[in-house]
Amino acid sequence: MEMLRVDNIVKQYAGHRALDDISITTKKGEIFGLLGPNGAGKTSLIRIINQITGPDSGKVFIEGRELKRSDIESIGYLPEERGLYKKMKVRDQAMYFARLKGLTKQEAKKRLDEWFEKFDITSWYDKKVEELSKGMAQKIQFITTVLHEPKLLILDEPFSGFDPINTEIIKKEILRLKANGTSIMLSTHNMNSVEEICDSIALINKAKVVVDGSLKEVKSKYRSHTYAIQFRGMMFGFANALFADFSLEHSEQLDEHTAVAHVKLLKENSLNDLLKTVMPIVEIESVHEIIPNMNDIFIQAVTGSGATTEGGQHE
Amino acid sequence: MSKIGLIISREYSSRVKTKTFLVLTILVPVLVGGLAFFGMWLGMKQQKHLKVLVADPRNLCEAKVYVGQNENPPATFYFSEDLVLIEEFESSKKYEDYDMLIAIDPDVITNRTINAASREEPSEKTKAFLSSKLEARLEEYYAIDEGIPLDKYHKIRQSYSFTVSDLQGKSFDDCEVQDVAQAVGMGFSFAIFLFLVIYGGLLMRSVLEEKTSRVVEIIVSSVKPFELMMGKIIAVGLVGLTQFAIWLVLVIGIMMAMQPFFAGDIDPAMIADMTNGLNTPAVENLSVGTDNCVQEAIYNFINWPILLILFVVYFIGGYLLYGSLFAIVGAASDSEADTQQLLIPVLLPLMFVYFLSFSIIGNADGAAAIWGSQIPFSSPIIMLQRVATGTVGIWEVVISLILLAGTFVLTTYLAGKVYRVGILLYGKKASWREIIKWIKH
Repeated sequence: MEMLRVDNIVKQYAGHRALDDISITTKKGEIFGLLGPNGAGKTSLIRIINQITGPDSGKVFIEGRELKRSDIESIGYLPEERGLYKKMKVRDQAMYFARLKGLTKQEAKKRLDEWFEKFDITSWYDKKVEELSKGMAQKIQFITTVLHEPKLLILDEPFSGFDPINTEIIKKEILRLKANGTSIMLSTHNMNSVEEICDSIALINKAKVVVDGSLKEVKSKYRSHTYAIQFRGMMFGFANALFADFSLEHSEQLDEHTAVAHVKLLKENSLNDLLKTVMPIVEIESVHEIIPNMNDIFIQAVTGSGATTEGGQHE
Repeated sequence: MSKIGLIISREYSSRVKTKTFLVLTILVPVLVGGLAFFGMWLGMKQQKHLKVLVADPRNLCEAKVYVGQNENPPATFYFSEDLVLIEEFESSKKYEDYDMLIAIDPDVITNRTINAASREEPSEKTKAFLSSKLEARLEEYYAIDEGIPLDKYHKIRQSYSFTVSDLQGKSFDDCEVQDVAQAVGMGFSFAIFLFLVIYGGLLMRSVLEEKTSRVVEIIVSSVKPFELMMGKIIAVGLVGLTQFAIWLVLVIGIMMAMQPFFAGDIDPAMIADMTNGLNTPAVENLSVGTDNCVQEAIYNFINWPILLILFVVYFIGGYLLYGSLFAIVGAASDSEADTQQLLIPVLLPLMFVYFLSFSIIGNADGAAAIWGSQIPFSSPIIMLQRVATGTVGIWEVVISLILLAGTFVLTTYLAGKVYRVGILLYGKKASWREIIKWIKH
């Protein structure tokens, strides 16, 4: 079921077009990765969804109906450029943000206590923000973003500023929120986390969507039909056997008798054809397809080059 | 509470609860008042209350001298019908409690001399008090001695109101009071100027604080940028009004406490006139000395309720106008250092108007004053001077306020446009040219 739909959004700033006919759709309860290089237009799009700015044309729909001003109370937004009032106490600040999102004083206090007890940080209540470390402040920001239990959570670089332990804590919390039915839009440059937690993605480059779909679909689209074959035998004979139907992309001698070759299928050839070709020459130990990782896909989509690399994900 | 209410409440309490605010608001007037009282106390300490022995062998004074109820006499008279010699006064234990001896010569009426001997030098004020009291008493005696009934004598003795007018019949004396009133208005102009700069600056820093701490994007995902801006403008304005209200209460308290001290300086002739309950209308017009002129202006001439109400109204109008310009500067800057250059076009008119306010002293109805009190960028500062002099018509104030309101609605609207773009622009200082581009966009 559809959570958010952005239809043909155009946003023009003096001198440049930030969003050029952007359309994306996210499903309820999924984690949607909004990817793209710096300056691609992600923040502009997020600001339009949050009604911080308006589009020049196009519409935004939430749960199938057009976005209204009152919907800001069902959206939680953690911007990339985020901060807190330095001189304000943690409790006052969190209460202020919660009440701006429409919670009553009592409700905000109750939920705040729950979250602070959960993260075991109740001792921070009376601290001023300037007394907190960056990581501590980030935690407070995360809590204030989710405190009003939004239906749609928009997180722009949520892991920046966190150490690996806290990154894991936040990641777990995001997954828990998803399990509880929250739809999440995640904008990040951290491709590992995209691989780990995103269900689908849209990649924006130069104000346009260049790739979108479920993670599986996108990866499938960027398949290069390259296989890693580990074998016992001579690399020379193996390479000669490939002839013009296959391309040897990479080879590596593991020991005196064992080697690994990355072979790309050319023309209409299948994996079976490849195996039939090399089986008479060498003894095959293992075969698997080299699936591009999100990093490769990102680079390829943005620069239009860079096929799968050695770091590609194996399946 | 509405969202704008939440913003106002946070902005207001975060500013009012600071030490700086408390120090500025409470400590400054208390310190100023305290210093004034300290000065007075020192003066009073020097003016020791004297015990004066009046040796009046012929009992010309009949052992009485009139002292008014509201007076704060620097000395008390004690009468003796004995002839007291100075040597005796100096050495006898009998007289050691007295500070001064005044001998009323039996021929005082003809030789017109009163001699006094004092252990310490009395102040001028004390001397004037003693002399005026005895003179008044002896003149009464003289009148009776000459066969003039006391009530006739008092009628004759009534002071004259002496006024000098210009050739058009306009009193110069009134003008003096007007000048004092305008000077008071000038004080209000200065206060408005100061408030505009202080609170405009505070508002600018408040806008900048959210930009530099990067908290603004979180806030504007919950409220409209315009609501945030208006919340800030209103809250900082309320902080200013709070400060003003506290100052006003303290100043009124101090002035009321000081009034009896002023009253002590009122011309002794007035007190003398009150001796026999002949409180003539002429007494009301005793605008003889500078002190009286100031008192007349402060306690009678200036319409304080109107002046104070208009001070608040013009402060609000001026603050909304200049405050929105300060907000533009805050929104377009990325750090406090960036604001310097952008502030010039905002501060220049303010400075110009401030200096203009000096040039119109004594000429509150000149062209500069009239135009200055109508142009919205200067009216909050100039109009109060004219209001204080009491020469401005209601319709002039109304037109000026309408123009001011129209202009601040426009500047607030423009500020809203700039604010929306500027607050989300990080790491970049905009020029005025760019700001105009944002407005046009």
